[in-house]
Amino acid sequence: MYLIRSCMVFYKYFLLTYSLLSSTEYLSVMVHLSSFLLKKYHGGHVVIRLALGGATNRPFYRIVAAYNKWARDSKYIEQLGSYDPLPNIHNEKLVAFNYERIKYWIACGAHTTKPVAKLLGLAGFFPLHPMTITEAERRQKAALTEEVKMDRQEQVEQKEAL
Amino acid sequence: MLRALSRCHAPVVRLLSPRTAVLVETVRGRKSRTDPIAKSKLGRIKTPPPVDPVEMVVLKERYTEYNLILRALRLEFKEQMLRKKYEEEVGSVAEERTKREAEEHRSLIALNDAENLRMCKIRAQRMQKEAEAAELKKREAAILRQQELESYIKEKERQILLLQEEAKDFITPDNLDQRIEEALDNPKNYNFAIDKEGRVVKRTAFQQ
Repeated sequence: MYLIRSCMVFYKYFLLTYSLLSSTEYLSVMVHLSSFLLKKYHGGHVVIRLALGGATNRPFYRIVAAYNKWARDSKYIEQLGSYDPLPNIHNEKLVAFNYERIKYWIACGAHTTKPVAKLLGLAGFFPLHPMTITEAERRQKAALTEEVKMDRQEQVEQKEAL
Repeated sequence: MLRALSRCHAPVVRLLSPRTAVLVETVRGRKSRTDPIAKSKLGRIKTPPPVDPVEMVVLKERYTEYNLILRALRLEFKEQMLRKKYEEEVGSVAEERTKREAEEHRSLIALNDAENLRMCKIRAQRMQKEAEAAELKKREAAILRQQELESYIKEKERQILLLQEEAKDFITPDNLDQRIEEALDNPKNYNFAIDKEGRVVKRTAFQQ
């Protein structure tokens, strides 16, 4: 798949150089593929996603509107916020959103990735994501079973002591 | 066996004819479809992760609701944006903007006119002052010239009178003989002596 992609890139360069010759030698018309993204040709769409930055053992995410096919950390269309996954001294994970621009991009048909959707749900801009609720329930259930197990262990120890 | 070129980032041309040294990255541990399975994994049957059916049903319901709300939100935002764009380009916002701009233009033009008028007045005054000053200078120059002329004439007249006075004593061919006689009769002695204190002695030894 990567081979095909690099082939396509190479073909595009080839096309641009070849057209200079063809217009003089042959009478065929070579159209210059001038638009940068060529939406119909490449079929990309805009996404709102997290772009990773920071340093070793210190991640930091920027909430970014970018085209789907572009690399995760490279060029983006616009930055819409940030997310710091490590809690600070007050035990808070800081998130920033530019709601106006997020509204604009969603109106233009941008998709959101799962983590961004979860964060927006927690912020109140979107409804709460189903997985957030489900994970919270799972954690509560696990905590309950742990409690029950601890109680039972205590009871057993008490009986043994007696 | 293991395809070393499974993940290469170089373009096609360099792949086919690598003129430089190692261009290609090898990634350890990735197998393709045709590679044989490892001995430790021969009896392994891959199963999907276990799922709680009750939870799954609840989750599916939640997802349908979530997607419905999201779709509604998307359409809502789209409508808002279109409305805002319309307002800005065609509707009330555009009208207000044009009105404001016209008002601004009018006030600016008025300011400019007032400024021009003020500058015009100042300029008129300045021109008047300059004209008066020039007039004054011209008059004074004329007076000065007149005075110069008069003084020149006076000087020349004085010189003429002086010359006339001197002309009376001139030696002419008429009284030439008379003057020679006179000069020979009265010899004049211009010699004198003077010492360091400045005493002048006109009577000298050479005397006729």
